[in-house]
Amino acid sequence: MTVLLNLLFLMIAATGASVVLIREPRRQVFAIALNGLVLTLLFTALQAPDVALSELAVGTAAVPLLFMIVLSAVRTAEPGQDTQSGEDA
Amino acid sequence: MSLLPYAVAAWLFGVGLYGIATSRNYIHLIGCLSVCQSATYVLLLGIGYRFDAIAPIFYDHPPGTPAVDPVMQALVLTDIVVGATLTALLLVLALQVYKRTGTLDPERLRPMRGTRAPGPRPRSTDRPPTKRAAPPAARS
Repeated sequence: MTVLLNLLFLMIAATGASVVLIREPRRQVFAIALNGLVLTLLFTALQAPDVALSELAVGTAAVPLLFMIVLSAVRTAEPGQDTQSGEDA
Repeated sequence: MSLLPYAVAAWLFGVGLYGIATSRNYIHLIGCLSVCQSATYVLLLGIGYRFDAIAPIFYDHPPGTPAVDPVMQALVLTDIVVGATLTALLLVLALQVYKRTGTLDPERLRPMRGTRAPGPRPRSTDRPPTKRAAPPAARS
């Protein structure tokens, strides 16, 4: 059990660093989802099943979905369409 | 518990702060902020954990069985919900910044000023913040 916990803690450290070090936001979304999945496994191993369930719903599904929605909105949004003041893009 | 959860929490917070400080994209920056928040999850659950203890659900265990601390788990649950809300709010703000300025790079944003560059102003809804922002600039 201790070995599993230590392994999961080290995986959390690695996936958290990968979220930061992947600079392209479209690829970072997958790192965020993986980080949420490893956090879910860690919470299950730490005897916190309710927290693991909510982290599975929020961190693995909802937050990457939000990031993907915003990325698609940024890609289709016309820069400066709110003000149309001709500022440089 | 051992020292490893605290070390991992400190590492996650540090690497998240590094990402926030060096990020050139607001969406990437919000992801780094969520890494900082996951440091608090690891810290709180590491504080409340006990070895050889059950989850704090006493449906099929007699009362008095050693269990991990349920208060820390409630705190982490609140933390996750607040973190998801904060991420959603910041993503919407980043989208509005992109629509107004056309960039997501924090380095390329100019500070807000009371006066704007000359140009067509088709909407009158943008006018009141400009008027409100002008007098402090004139006073100072």
